Amino acid sequence: MFEWLEYEFMLRALAATSVLSFSIAPVGAFLVLRRLSLAGEAMAHAIVPGIVIGFVIAGLSVASMIIGGLAAGITVALLTSLLARFTIIREDASLASLYLISLALGIFILSAGGSAVPLKSFLFGSILGMDDETLYLIGATATVTLVSFALILRPLVTSTIDPVFHESRSSRPGLVVHWFMFLVVLNLLGAFKALGTLMAVGLMILPATAARYWVSTLTGYLVLTFLFALASCWAGLILSFYASEVPSGPAIILVAGAIFFVSVLFAPQGLGFLRRRRPSPR
Amino acid sequence: MVLSANELTLGYRGQAVVSNVSFHVAAGDVLAVVGHNGSGKSTLVKTILGTLPLIGGELSWHGGVPSEIAFLGQRSEFDTRVPIRLRDIVEMGAWSRLGFAGRIDPAGRAAIEAAMERTGTAAIADTPLHMLSAGQLQRALFARTIVQDAPVILLDEPFTAIDQSTEADLLALIDQWSGEGRAVIMVLHDLSAVLQHCHAALLLGRGTARFGPLDTTLTPANLVDLAYLTPSQAAWQERMFSRDAGSLSGGGDV
Repeated sequence: MFEWLEYEFMLRALAATSVLSFSIAPVGAFLVLRRLSLAGEAMAHAIVPGIVIGFVIAGLSVASMIIGGLAAGITVALLTSLLARFTIIREDASLASLYLISLALGIFILSAGGSAVPLKSFLFGSILGMDDETLYLIGATATVTLVSFALILRPLVTSTIDPVFHESRSSRPGLVVHWFMFLVVLNLLGAFKALGTLMAVGLMILPATAARYWVSTLTGYLVLTFLFALASCWAGLILSFYASEVPSGPAIILVAGAIFFVSVLFAPQGLGFLRRRRPSPR
Repeated sequence: MVLSANELTLGYRGQAVVSNVSFHVAAGDVLAVVGHNGSGKSTLVKTILGTLPLIGGELSWHGGVPSEIAFLGQRSEFDTRVPIRLRDIVEMGAWSRLGFAGRIDPAGRAAIEAAMERTGTAAIADTPLHMLSAGQLQRALFARTIVQDAPVILLDEPFTAIDQSTEADLLALIDQWSGEGRAVIMVLHDLSAVLQHCHAALLLGRGTARFGPLDTTLTPANLVDLAYLTPSQAAWQERMFSRDAGSLSGGGDV
């Protein structure tokens, strides 16, 4: 039953997603706490045309993917805030409009350009996709993310809980927030080979929402989010190994979804079906 | 003198909300800022914090811009669903001195414990944020303000939706800050007993401002003039006030 351990592509995928979990978990945790889950989802789709244009122009290189993805992410973020500021449409609506255009444009270029990457792996990931470059990308993403968190954790926590207090204390209050959004895009790019562009954000959000039901300290939250992300990746990859028609992205996200529903039902801050029924306080 | 404001014009993107704002605060002063909704109270708070540029006038910090203004904002802007404990909120008061990763030393640790002791939150230090009542949260935020140990303290509606005993405890703390020579500026939502703890008032309204001692500034005439009260409310308040004063001074008549 451990035959999946004998395949190199599988070992690569397991190693890559383990490192990725270290990095994507804290990012997802704060994305959820900052009420940016949907913005993260939109951002994940918004970066697609950048990645695709990178593909079509420069082929399958990690550098072109990062440059294209970051450029598209920043463009959509800037356009969103400009539209929200200078027109009557609110931020959520302009973000939704732009990411839909962006996603459609990406898929259009990918199909018309005749890329070497099959559309299915592009959208939903593949366990076969973990080449050396992807491993380096994930390693670099994790390094940048963890070092960044060591530096910005305190201002990030402050600005999440008490934004006005944060503003009163910092000469550049926006810096932390912008750096955090950069980390979001970076981790989406890191997750993209294993999970695909449509599923990458799921590994960011689901472990974080599931973990929130169980804990009430920040350290506990970050650790549990990581463990849930790791468990989802491993179980999902093994699932995808046996059901070989199933791409790895949906398999991983379905495992994360199962953890989420178990948490909703049984965790103390969810519906709490495991809780001992105490006499009602009133 | 800690802070003096001369003929300030305050507002957003060049649009004035209020002008002719002049006031001064000395060490140990408690200044109340009162005004109707939209009179510019929050605008003034942001201007003092330095997050909003002045449109006109002069705001001078005597003895240099303080390295830290201890600011306590309205609780509606506070997110209580973040998984942290009361103790962490109080610790936030020390973070700006510690920089990115500095550890809290034993003295800092002791200061945090003392602040929780002083505000009556030591026993609930490990309670998660979402389990705290409004009063407990406000006590924790006052503890955070103590830990900040700042020469200037700025409070935005600190007593909204707070029960009487918490209000009394927190007002005692404001008296203590004043005694320690800190300057306290406090935005108040309504004219309440809290005003007894203030030394001066800044009344904002109808795009202008009045400043001075409480009894000459918050007069019925001024309150009506700056749209804080309607004339009939003011007349009622004056009747109540004179009856109180009468019963206090001429006690033997009845």
